[in-house]
Amino acid sequence: MRLIDIVRQSPRRLVIPLMGYPGARLTNSTIRQNEFNSDLHYRSIYKLVERFDPDAVFFIMDLSVEAGALGLQVRYPLSESATVEHHPVKTLADLEQYEVLDPLFDARIRSYIETMKLMAKNLNIPKGGYVIGPFTLAGLLMGAVEIATATITEPDLVLSVVNFAENIIIRYAKELIRAGADIIAILEPTATFLSPKAFARFSGASVSRIVRFLDAMTILHICGNTTHLIEAMCETGVQGLSLDSVVDFPAVASRVRSDVVLIGNIAPVQVMVNETPDGVKRAVNNLLEAMEPYPNFILSTGCDLPLETPLENIQAFMEAGKAWRLRRADSAA
Amino acid sequence: MVNLQELQDAVISGNASKAKELTEQALKENVDPVVIVKEWLIPGMGIVGDKFKRNEIYVPEMLIAARAMYAALDVLRPILAQTDMEPVGKVVIGTVKGDLHDIGKNLVKMMLEGAGFEVIDLGIDVAPQKFVDAVKENKPNHVAMSALLTTTMPAMKETIEALKAAGLRDKVKVMIGGAPVTDKYANEIGADGYAPDASSAVDLAKRLLQ
Repeated sequence: MRLIDIVRQSPRRLVIPLMGYPGARLTNSTIRQNEFNSDLHYRSIYKLVERFDPDAVFFIMDLSVEAGALGLQVRYPLSESATVEHHPVKTLADLEQYEVLDPLFDARIRSYIETMKLMAKNLNIPKGGYVIGPFTLAGLLMGAVEIATATITEPDLVLSVVNFAENIIIRYAKELIRAGADIIAILEPTATFLSPKAFARFSGASVSRIVRFLDAMTILHICGNTTHLIEAMCETGVQGLSLDSVVDFPAVASRVRSDVVLIGNIAPVQVMVNETPDGVKRAVNNLLEAMEPYPNFILSTGCDLPLETPLENIQAFMEAGKAWRLRRADSAA
Repeated sequence: MVNLQELQDAVISGNASKAKELTEQALKENVDPVVIVKEWLIPGMGIVGDKFKRNEIYVPEMLIAARAMYAALDVLRPILAQTDMEPVGKVVIGTVKGDLHDIGKNLVKMMLEGAGFEVIDLGIDVAPQKFVDAVKENKPNHVAMSALLTTTMPAMKETIEALKAAGLRDKVKVMIGGAPVTDKYANEIGADGYAPDASSAVDLAKRLLQ
């Protein structure tokens, strides 16, 4: 089953907020505890599903898992997302020390796989897991400024690191699918600063290969302004594009192939954290109205919601999304 | 005779070694270093910024252009130090507390320096108090804050509050930027301006000087 098939079969808009972090509030836990403990992580996700009844659910968005599994130094704040602190790869030789590692034996990778197993066993909606994107993992290995410069000055080095990252990602993603993931979302924020041509070369080609290896629905999630990359992202062969709130969805929707699902993009902070429930409903209704002509759309948030997102705002998001009556559905009835 | 247009072109295309070589040659031929900076390097980075705004080039091209500019500036610095060339303005910049992302902040820094500003870079994960201390010490025109994570945006507000508490808020203009940041957010937290990209940050910094 492809993502577009699920969308087409639904009589209403699917509503799938990216809401891992607020789950920690429902289990009175910290983000860090969830990042290390699969049972707690699962219970946080379960509570989110129980309370908000989304049409699919993802676990916590964590861009440090794969890099941490390679032994990079990661900072784990109690209540914020984990971040990689150092970026040690400067040459091809630096990469060698990481090639001996099998990421599947890393404790935190195992924890996320166990979380997915529990989700698969107990939740009867589509379950999604995140993996980092190849250019973004390469960027964590090399440093963001360094990899950006190296795309021009040392493209072969960048491609080697991207290829290395790709193998790590495929191995982890396949294990998540084996654990029961129906959807794999590839998080590739670092690629946002590339030109369409450089994106195709340093990220898109690798994402295409990853997607071909995975027997699951695939989504490409890129934060920031990706307006210039719409076509290049579609060409990777992913089934969905999950894009940030700065992208003007109605304006780009016609550039997205009709069998690729556009997913997003209510602003996580400006709307979901800062607005009242009525303000959230207004923002949701405005987006749904503007996206009415496009069947290949899932209502979501632009990125994972911050921990402090008011729960009543998530409720308002779900209610407004599910209450929306598609005019094409009405006319068909 | 050195062709300064070639120097500017080398900066724009990111050819650092050529930029260095041509700058050295210009100095040998006694070209005024202030002229090199004001008439060629700064306008060159302005062209880079405009190309970026028009999506003709992207972050990597901008970074290597800045690298070429620094290659030229490194040659000029010892001599410029002996002149009375004043910076356009002074900016204290940093990525806010809890946020370890530096590419956006670095780009803004490079473009500001490329536009003739003096920039004091506090790095990443900068606590509000560190901004306050840097303002006391350096007396800048502006404080520029960057955040990539939605979770660290509130640290921008905390920093503005800390500047207020230290009695420094009216001494500086506060500009903010970063992927999740918006104009509306800047208004909400009482910043003086928001820029969506590094090139616009230069325009904003200039505007805030007036």
